[in-house]
Amino acid sequence: MTNQFLQMESVLFYVTLALYVVATALYFVFFALKRDKLAKPANGILLAAFAVHTLTLVVRGLGAGRLPLTNQYEFATSFAWGIALCCLIFIWRFRFQALGTFASPVVFLVIGYAAMQSREVRELMPSLRSGWLAIHVMTAIISYGSFGVAFAVSLMFLLRQRNQNSAFWQQNIPQEQKLDSISYRAVSLGFLFLTLVIVTGAIWAEQAWGSYWSWDPKETWALITWIIYAIYLHLRIGKGWKGRSAAIFAVVGFVCVIFTYIGVNTLLPGIHSYA
Amino acid sequence: MEQLKKVTGKLFSMKTAIGILLLLTVACVLGSVIPQGEAESYYTSTYPGNPARLILLLELNDVFHSVWFVVLTAFLCLNLLGCNLLRFPVILRQMREDYTLDKRLKQWKGEGEVETDDVDGLFRRMGFSKVERRTLLGKEFRYAVRNKIGLWGAWLTHLGMLIIMIGFALGQMKTVKYNVYGIPGTTKQVGDTGYALTIEDFDVTLREDNTVEQYTATLTVTDTATGEAHTGEASVNHPLNLFGMKFYQNSMGWAAQVDIWENDQPLQSQVLCTGEFLPVEDKPELVVMFNSFYPDLTTGPNGMPTSASSELNHPGYLYSVYYNGEVIGMNVLEEEDEITIDDYTVRFSQPQHYTLITAKHDPFTGLVLAGGLVMLAALLIAFYLRTEELWATPGENGRWQVAGRSRKGGVIFLDKLREAAGEQKERTL
Repeated sequence: MTNQFLQMESVLFYVTLALYVVATALYFVFFALKRDKLAKPANGILLAAFAVHTLTLVVRGLGAGRLPLTNQYEFATSFAWGIALCCLIFIWRFRFQALGTFASPVVFLVIGYAAMQSREVRELMPSLRSGWLAIHVMTAIISYGSFGVAFAVSLMFLLRQRNQNSAFWQQNIPQEQKLDSISYRAVSLGFLFLTLVIVTGAIWAEQAWGSYWSWDPKETWALITWIIYAIYLHLRIGKGWKGRSAAIFAVVGFVCVIFTYIGVNTLLPGIHSYA
Repeated sequence: MEQLKKVTGKLFSMKTAIGILLLLTVACVLGSVIPQGEAESYYTSTYPGNPARLILLLELNDVFHSVWFVVLTAFLCLNLLGCNLLRFPVILRQMREDYTLDKRLKQWKGEGEVETDDVDGLFRRMGFSKVERRTLLGKEFRYAVRNKIGLWGAWLTHLGMLIIMIGFALGQMKTVKYNVYGIPGTTKQVGDTGYALTIEDFDVTLREDNTVEQYTATLTVTDTATGEAHTGEASVNHPLNLFGMKFYQNSMGWAAQVDIWENDQPLQSQVLCTGEFLPVEDKPELVVMFNSFYPDLTTGPNGMPTSASSELNHPGYLYSVYYNGEVIGMNVLEEEDEITIDDYTVRFSQPQHYTLITAKHDPFTGLVLAGGLVMLAALLIAFYLRTEELWATPGENGRWQVAGRSRKGGVIFLDKLREAAGEQKERTL
């Protein structure tokens, strides 16, 4: 039964990947050729990809007999799921179709990274057998997903500003002020959840290792990311750093997020090395 | 006095806070990239020359306990405290004075973002239930404000962070932490706490595929002064809480019985955990060390001993023998093998697991947790209870001119206002 689930998961994973590719292509055509009629199908395909992705994760969870949130593959695919979720929420909440054009390639890249990882199912080591695993990792997924959206929106902002004389960019991308506000909302959501990630991680570490903070590279880089976004928020609120500076900061912040996720695991071994 | 004001103003400013945060970021990057807490020789061999000297001089080998890092953190605490003290009266004043109809009227020229005939309906549609109505010089006004608590978001976030840092610092000073290890039946003192720890049992639960599901130690903790004793289980993720201390199942390893004979007569016998050594009783300059254990001994691809599995199929004991501090022998012994050195014969047997228990008491963990919770609640307030206002007055055309502002995300708030007015218009039509 377990193998059947995992075989099914493998098929679903590739269907998900294909749907994200189609959604990315449709968004690109919608954006590049300004075919407004394609916005709805692109959103629909992204939603379908997200639904199949959710099913893939559920099937893997059933096959593994636990939450699929513990190794590089599982977290990468969940990370992509988080970005897709946040992207859909922001598209729906702010009626912001063009976001898909910039966020779906990020989803595709992250799930592409997942495709390159080993999909072997391993049993959980004792320290990971805790209820905190779900809370800690789920909050990380939402946090990273929101930062991914902020990155995409900030990229749009920077491109729009760079192409100020181009009617195409000015017409196809929302106004800079709106992009700036949406990016800020995404960073706020990500920051709140990153704080939750650090707090839940500390509570769990206290239970598992007897120390809520050990300056492990993963913890330290989560703190670095937190500080970077804290500086972003301070500069924005206190010094009026909006627009271009804020967008550059949000892009740098996401680079930190990616390093915290991929770089730390591969380059800086520590007690989180299984992740 | 002016000078002091200037200094405190700078010290408690946001500019200083950002400077400290940037320095802390650099410190964290260095602390995560440079291996921490290694011996001096490690740095001189890994980063020869000036880099090693710089690392040791700037304490980059122990960044998070270095004096400069502690000073930097203390400055951040001071900055947060000062900032909050200075901001407190400002926020109180903002709450009382800034979010009022009078204040808006001083700044408003009567132009609205949107127009409506049903002003009360629009206020309701925007989620404002309490609306102040006032008539001034024969002109009607409406004013509503919500989420004034949002003004406290950043202030409370700083407070939470301050509590965390104070709790962490106090914890670093007051935490009592000891490691106790041994095989079942071992009783040891837990440092100078006045408690003795007995390892009653240690169990490794395996799954069908031989992977470890859980490590569980049954422990008895005894108050050596009163004799009061309690027994309980500690497993990974489930520490045992006794006498106000927490006992963690930290790690495990292998132990074995080491027997030494002198001229075929038993001389001494002791259980050694891996990493422990045993001096020969009547010849203490001769020392036997139990380096490592292979439960299923085999030879690895590089010709070195290794274990084929974690099952106890073919035990192998890696030992070394020292004489006057010099290694005179090192090898792997199998179950029936023995070492002979002059008149002495050494044999390893009865391999078994030992467990390492960490006993800890940090009276400030709760304070740190409280700080974390305050910070989370504060961020929720700061980001999602945005202070927002709407105000309106009839324009020259007789229609209500409605304007508004949101402390954060003003553009989106005004979009929402336009949208609500549009929907209202559609309904009317």
